[in-house]
Amino acid sequence: MDPLEVYRVEAPGEEFGAAKYREIILDILQDLGLVRSIGRLYVYIDMERPYFAVYGLLRGSLPPLRVGDVADVVRTQEGYQIKVNEEEHLADMLRVLWEKYGRDRVEQPDRDLLTIASDVSPADLIVTDVDAEFRRDLTDALIRIAPEGFRNRRNEMTEDSFLFIASEETITPELIEEVREKIRGMENA
Amino acid sequence: MLEPVMFTGGVYKHDLVIELVEDLGGYLLQKNVTQSEVILLLLVPAEDLRILEDLTKELRGELTRAPLAGTEVAVVTPTLAIHHLPHTACDIAEYLRRNGAKSNMIGLARGVGREIAQINEYETALINEHDAAVFIFGNFVKCIIKKEELYKGVNIPVVVTGGPEIPKGEMPYAFEYVSSVGRIAHRSKKANEIGNLDRIVAAVGRALDKMRADIEKDPLTTSPPRVMDVVREQVPDIERSYSPLPIALNLNGCRIKLPYDEYHDAIGNVMFDEGVMLKEIARILPSRMKNYTLVRILPESETGMVF
Repeated sequence: MDPLEVYRVEAPGEEFGAAKYREIILDILQDLGLVRSIGRLYVYIDMERPYFAVYGLLRGSLPPLRVGDVADVVRTQEGYQIKVNEEEHLADMLRVLWEKYGRDRVEQPDRDLLTIASDVSPADLIVTDVDAEFRRDLTDALIRIAPEGFRNRRNEMTEDSFLFIASEETITPELIEEVREKIRGMENA
Repeated sequence: MLEPVMFTGGVYKHDLVIELVEDLGGYLLQKNVTQSEVILLLLVPAEDLRILEDLTKELRGELTRAPLAGTEVAVVTPTLAIHHLPHTACDIAEYLRRNGAKSNMIGLARGVGREIAQINEYETALINEHDAAVFIFGNFVKCIIKKEELYKGVNIPVVVTGGPEIPKGEMPYAFEYVSSVGRIAHRSKKANEIGNLDRIVAAVGRALDKMRADIEKDPLTTSPPRVMDVVREQVPDIERSYSPLPIALNLNGCRIKLPYDEYHDAIGNVMFDEGVMLKEIARILPSRMKNYTLVRILPESETGMVF
């Protein structure tokens, strides 16, 4: 069963290629842990021209992670104490805290404990932008998915969708329009 | 008639196997020791195989036929990028290795795309040093047919693999085409995927048989294992080669992994029991692979003798 709501792959004249690319795309998205963030996926491959296009709808964007989300912040006499709950974000958090307060005011008395000598609460500082990270991973996945020879690429990402086109030839505005038309046709089918 | 076999067993007493094979007039092609296990690639006279089987049983080892032993096969992918490696290419190379072939993986510099795919003279010459080649292509019919340009200039048999079914008539330059492989993003482990690997090995086997039949029409002056043996004996520096297989056998000669400039004289002057020097019955050439030395044994029609 496909983990995606809608998943269509079309490649006129290359039925085998279409079926196989379905597997490859799913394999790669699963490898990179991206499947759950993508709702619908339409893939159109034209081997005559040749070009390779992917259009996807994203499942709502994630808010950036703040210090308060991954740690407990407590007010103390000297300033603030941070008890880190999710250790995978510790490195990013340290970097952000150093930037904001300076190295000499941030201390780490224990593995999961940080103290800050300041009156300003760190709870609202952004640790990582999960959404931006996801978009970076998605771009990487798309480059991996597209046939390697298709070196001319165009990637349009909006809030809730992305359109990726890869081709051997120069990508012209007419080509992009044609791809949009094909994808619209697949959406309505 | 020498039979290619692979011995797998414990390290303990495995030298008895090597001694027996040498006594029978066979050859040890390769020895791989992995911790407590040893894998030996051997050529054994067919009529004496029974004796080796008995010894293997005694040592609790395993003896399997390795139809591709003593050959070098090139596994060629359009590039070495993540799109082609590791899954398909490594699976095929490993499977060929398990059947006894020495497989070399070659990634072309500019083999990608449909219109832009190309191969250069150096790459072609390097592939031509092998006994057979496997070209790994993708999932689209048009691309696979178009990429014929890549192996048109290769004059060893080429087995092409790809995804879709394509009639043989569409690819006149390929020796055989093996379908339902193509680009895969996971390891081959399902029964049908392993079956595909078996089909590739079978196709390579047929390609090598064709090469053997071609050579048989005008037999080589001497056999490549014999050359390997005398070189091992008379050029002791070969033991200091860091390569896991210092002498790789081909059907029509061998690749000796010593620098050509320093050693081609020593190799050429190697003397057979018959009183003939190697340079009189073979061409000693620089290999395209690193700076190794390539030996190509001349056929009977050129030297007028066979031993």
